[in-house]
Amino acid sequence: MKTRIAIRRALGIGGIAVATVVAGTVFARAPFTEAELQQQMDTLYGVIQTGYDLWHGSEPSMTSNGLACANCHPDTAASNPQTFPKYQTMYGKVVPWQEMVNWCIENPQLGERLSPESDQMTAMKAYAMYLHRGLPIEPGLASEQTAAVPVAFGTGFKREPTGLGVDTREYTPERR
Amino acid sequence: MSEVNKSRRDFLAFSGKAGVATLVAQAAGINLGIVDVVKAEAGGKVDPFRFAIISDAHLYSMDNHKFDQQLIDAVNKVNSMNPKPDFVLFGGDVAQNGTEDQLVKGAEILAKLEMPMKIIPGEHDWYLDMGEAWRGLFGDETWSFNHKGVHFIGLNSILVEDFWTPAGLSPKERMTVMEMLESPIPGPWGVHEKQLEWLAKDVKDLPPSTPIVVFTHSPLWDYYPRWNFQTSDAPEIREILSKFDNVMSYHGHVHQTLYNRIGNMSSVAAMSTSWPWPYPPVELAYPETRMNRADPSIATDGQGVQLINLSENFEGLVEYKPFEDSLTPFMQDGFKV
Repeated sequence: MKTRIAIRRALGIGGIAVATVVAGTVFARAPFTEAELQQQMDTLYGVIQTGYDLWHGSEPSMTSNGLACANCHPDTAASNPQTFPKYQTMYGKVVPWQEMVNWCIENPQLGERLSPESDQMTAMKAYAMYLHRGLPIEPGLASEQTAAVPVAFGTGFKREPTGLGVDTREYTPERR
Repeated sequence: MSEVNKSRRDFLAFSGKAGVATLVAQAAGINLGIVDVVKAEAGGKVDPFRFAIISDAHLYSMDNHKFDQQLIDAVNKVNSMNPKPDFVLFGGDVAQNGTEDQLVKGAEILAKLEMPMKIIPGEHDWYLDMGEAWRGLFGDETWSFNHKGVHFIGLNSILVEDFWTPAGLSPKERMTVMEMLESPIPGPWGVHEKQLEWLAKDVKDLPPSTPIVVFTHSPLWDYYPRWNFQTSDAPEIREILSKFDNVMSYHGHVHQTLYNRIGNMSSVAAMSTSWPWPYPPVELAYPETRMNRADPSIATDGQGVQLINLSENFEGLVEYKPFEDSLTPFMQDGFKV
């Protein structure tokens, strides 16, 4: 009797498993194709490009004294997106990275803040995050300076604009 | 009269007496009191003295821009030094966009220095008109002089190959490309062949014991080429100067405290008067000479001027004089080079 019950249970579990696999092949979305993935990345690179342009002063409302984010943060260095949210003394509370960008826009740059949800802010964050890819996420790290991903030392320069203004696109960080 | 000359005339009319004298003398190739007409003597003994370095003002065209006051603060800081330095070296990038009004504004402020000044150009000064306005205001960009036993050399290290003609860029577009620190277009800077030949000739007859100070905008070593924290023909410069017992290199451009030593050459960077730059992702040979990370809520943190004291035996005591409390304990009392 016990054996019969065990067999029934096994068949039941197995049946569910088989049904799941069959249903998965019928109803689940197939993995993205290489072409689709490429399209997604190209879309991302386009947004990063917009972020690069904004970082370098393409939006006049972000400054009234000529300063752009890139003046102090070449290659987004020391903008440290991987360390946010964190406590900022000028706010006296924990703020997201977007808020720190707005602080810089309003203070050193004497410009008009962006909506944290705007496409422009998303683009700048995409640019900064892209140049900090592979670095560990460490919210709150405030005392140490972090830099963007390194560019091969002493290898010279590309003679054509890469679109991103960086030649780090070939850099693949070590996965952690 | 060209616009440059007209503006220069206007500027000279405006400037104070001491500043006018300095500028006129520089334009004429005279170095006032800082010139020791006798070549540095064999034996390498120095009559001890001090000089200051101000660098990277990056002045904009707007009236009362905060960088104007920061350069004024730097000038006042040097003027108030006691004893006063014998002279001041300015490390390039008076202007941000290379416009004549920015350069004139910088010259007006620097004319308030109570001691002579020598200056070399930065890329922000140069690529709008290829140095025409700069030369009109400050004279030749390649120079040398002797002072109290030390041979000082200034070089223009921000020269690049012509990328603008094939691309059909306007002067303003060329300047915009050069203004961007991480621009991949211009390629690495250097002093190029003519200045290398000039340098070789300049030091040809100097004995190896001659104390040498070489002054450039960019560092004479491969620090971080991506941001042009380098001079492409620095190896050739170091080779030409390799016969000397001791060479000190001082430079601007990197907007931070920094020291390195390669062979017989020590290298010291100047803080800017405009904004500090983060340290690039490079391991430093002397990490103790890094300054504290600047606090963005303090507008002048991480900026300042430099005072160099040279001893009889050509030892240099480098003292960074920041506007704020930017220095680590190691740096507080200066360090020897």
